[in-house]
Amino acid sequence: MWIALTQSMGLPISRRTSWQLVLLILAALAILFLPTFVTAAPPTERTYRIEARSFEYAPPTIKVNQGDRLTLELASTDVVHGLYIDGYDLNVVADPGQTAKLTFIANQSGSFRFRCSVTCGALHPFMIGKLEVGTNWLWWQAVGFAVLAVVVVFIRPFGFMKPEGS
Amino acid sequence: MTRYEITPLLQPLLKNRLPQFIIQAIALGGFVFAIIAGLVGTPVGNHNFSIVFVWIGWWALLMLIAVPLFGRAWCSVCPIPLAGEWMQHGALLKPGGKGFGLNLRWHNKFRNIWLQNISFALVALFSAVVLTQPNITSIVLIAFLFVAFAASLIFERRAFCRYLCPVGGFIGLYSQVAPIEVRVKDSAVCAAHTEKSCYIGNAEGYGCPWQVYPGGLSKNTYCGTCMECLRTCPHDNVAIQIRPLGDDLLKPHGRKLDEAFKAFIMLGSAMTYSAVMLGSWGQLKAAAYAVGTSAWALYAITFLVFIFGALPASFFIATSFNRKSFINFAYALIPLGLLAWIAFSLSFVFANASYLLPAISDPFGWGWNLFGTVNFKWTPFLTQVTPTLQVAALIIGLAWSSQVAIQIGEQIKARAQGVIAFCFVITLGMLWLLVG
Amino acid sequence: MAARWLKAENGARLFVIGILVGIPLAILIGRWITSRDSSIEIHARIAEAGGFTPANLIAKVGEPIRLRLISDDVQHGFAIGQSDTPALDLPAGQMVETTLTFDRAGKYVFYCTRWCGLSHWRMRGTIEVTGEPAAQASAVSPLYLKLNIDVDDPHPAKNIPSRKPVAKSINNIPISFLTREYYLTHSPSDAFVETLHATSLPDDEIWNLVAFVWQANTTKEKLAQGQKLYAQNCAACHGESGKGDGVMAASLTKKDSSAQMEFGHNTKSPVDFTDSSQMLGASPALLQGKIIRGGMGTGMPYWGPIFTEEQTWALVDYLWTFQFEYVMHFRQLER
Repeated sequence: MWIALTQSMGLPISRRTSWQLVLLILAALAILFLPTFVTAAPPTERTYRIEARSFEYAPPTIKVNQGDRLTLELASTDVVHGLYIDGYDLNVVADPGQTAKLTFIANQSGSFRFRCSVTCGALHPFMIGKLEVGTNWLWWQAVGFAVLAVVVVFIRPFGFMKPEGS
Repeated sequence: MTRYEITPLLQPLLKNRLPQFIIQAIALGGFVFAIIAGLVGTPVGNHNFSIVFVWIGWWALLMLIAVPLFGRAWCSVCPIPLAGEWMQHGALLKPGGKGFGLNLRWHNKFRNIWLQNISFALVALFSAVVLTQPNITSIVLIAFLFVAFAASLIFERRAFCRYLCPVGGFIGLYSQVAPIEVRVKDSAVCAAHTEKSCYIGNAEGYGCPWQVYPGGLSKNTYCGTCMECLRTCPHDNVAIQIRPLGDDLLKPHGRKLDEAFKAFIMLGSAMTYSAVMLGSWGQLKAAAYAVGTSAWALYAITFLVFIFGALPASFFIATSFNRKSFINFAYALIPLGLLAWIAFSLSFVFANASYLLPAISDPFGWGWNLFGTVNFKWTPFLTQVTPTLQVAALIIGLAWSSQVAIQIGEQIKARAQGVIAFCFVITLGMLWLLVG
Repeated sequence: MAARWLKAENGARLFVIGILVGIPLAILIGRWITSRDSSIEIHARIAEAGGFTPANLIAKVGEPIRLRLISDDVQHGFAIGQSDTPALDLPAGQMVETTLTFDRAGKYVFYCTRWCGLSHWRMRGTIEVTGEPAAQASAVSPLYLKLNIDVDDPHPAKNIPSRKPVAKSINNIPISFLTREYYLTHSPSDAFVETLHATSLPDDEIWNLVAFVWQANTTKEKLAQGQKLYAQNCAACHGESGKGDGVMAASLTKKDSSAQMEFGHNTKSPVDFTDSSQMLGASPALLQGKIIRGGMGTGMPYWGPIFTEEQTWALVDYLWTFQFEYVMHFRQLER
């Protein structure tokens, strides 16, 4: 019936190819829905002190679990700096001598860049740090899709997804 | 997919010199304005017209729209060669003036893109400074104007554009991917036409400034879409056509080592820029910026060895130490390179595009408010979806490059597995740098 | 044909020349328009790169001067010393306008209000205002001068408490303790010794009494004001905890730092306000002197032209909270 359907659409797909198509779609869906099958670590409260200096953050990377109640204490050590988190759209600014606090629930998992939000000199647009929350599913899915893409391209010459008679 | 000719729709616009000329003149005005802004305006980069409109505005337009969709179309309105060209022609519009210039032929030894490979690598080496200091951006732009003008004084046609311009080097290579091309409709007409006005020029227009014979044009690489051949051809045999993406990649003739190396330079630069500008390694950024220090020298050497040495060397291994495979397969890297640059550009363009608004109202940081937007605060946008878009771009690039690798493999009867593995590793590297 | 060609050519040339000449012209005109209003353009850069330029202005009593302030590098601020007008923020690359009018003649100091590096406090300028009425006839001489206190003299405490005193009164406090003059001119150590000789209370209770007397000389509002001044001006060097471990402290004492080159070697690190052996031997008048005059062979700025007398005393009041536990239940007293 499936073959009849595809033939009526003008796509001459053989039985073998249609199975391959199904497998391909299943693989893609598995990659896409991977995160739902894995349980994350229990959330806790964490506090990190980040020192900001033109043009880097120390520590440059913060790693927490998904769902953690995270408090970032921004301490500028030379001029006024800010900290804006991509994806979370949160911002905090600190003058030297006045540590600023930002508390939020890290409910989105992944790798989020944080950038300086107060012009602090020449390399200000590139003053960047990273917040890693839980498992970086996007990265693993990307790797999965990269593998899938290569596999598909590799086995295509062997008849994968080739239309009938070619 | 067959070719679809779109010239009938655009014919009036393109044959008439005025629309293109007006855009060029405005581009020249913008260029001069940016140079002035960089020299006399605020030293704060994100509030200076030159940095914001060149490295965010123009770059986004070029990398995200112009090159992928229109190939080398920027060259048709680029202001850099204009002064020299007008002097060469003795006219701004149609031929008829007395030109000035030595019109020497570009030396055979340099009739390749090696000089452009080097000029791009040079600009890349200083990019941390160029991208952040308005006055340095202006100096670079002035240098381009100067060199292009000098080239036009000495050499024939658009020598700077064809053999020196660092931008031309890579948009030429990536234009092989674009869905638009300028080709002759019927080559038999050209064979019968002895005057070859498209190359020599006539009263309607100039011979191809890119030193290309339009009658024999098969790849986009060196066609600057300037439309002269559209105007000069007495048989109306030149057309703009829409074609499948990546069409030129599979044309086996004319594959050369200089173009192959360009692919590595671009891939390597995309990765280096991603690490230096979007990474969280402060020491690396400081080294890239501190031009003249030993830290910068180390960074420079590492960068040059990476793009001219390590990457091509590992590709040579991936292509089984075969020179023919190396050169041919290098073209498979083009889609990945283009999409890697798009992925990289998305991050800083989306984060910083909001600077365009205050920059247009107060281009010099003097307190003007021409359009009322001077107080618009920095607002990064789409930061939530940018990583996903970057992943999508890189995966598409990988799949596309792998597909092209297999097709090239069929052409030259070589195995593409090594090339695909190479693309896979590069993709993982870019993915890690951007979203890891 | 040739005529048509020439006509088109000339039109095109005119267009290009118009653009190429028009642009610089438009810029010059724009600049001229904005500079016609006799406003003064002041560029703000970190002190190491020049500070405020120009840094010395002249004005007349009653005549407003318009300033256009532009920061050329990082976030700066602008305020007039010993004045009520709120500080202006100067974000990098953006022009901020302000108009100042002076009621009295004299020399006014303007300064940067947002920390912009190690030499942030040096980022100052002056405005000479001439005319009538003249400046307030010799402002009150600061107490430390009147008392001939040598600000550079060491001031060790004769006794120190075993734990942080909590302000607590006793019955029959000596009346002399409760005068403001006593507070200003005596160190906590002095008060302790006096009480020790006069009563038989245990040491802890005596210190608590001293703390109480000190507390009695301030108010919640003054402490809040002092805390704000401390956070904005002092914490960067002296630390948010008062321990002398502020973010700038390390640079002050670092070998070969710019600070070292300025002050010579052996630059001391910022004072630790939690160090009882020194703090408790200082009188509020001495602290006022140190704040006003600065120096002492360290990187301590002189705040005389910047803080009003009221502000200085509020700051001194606040400094004692590093030594004493006050029981006034402030919301802001959170460290």
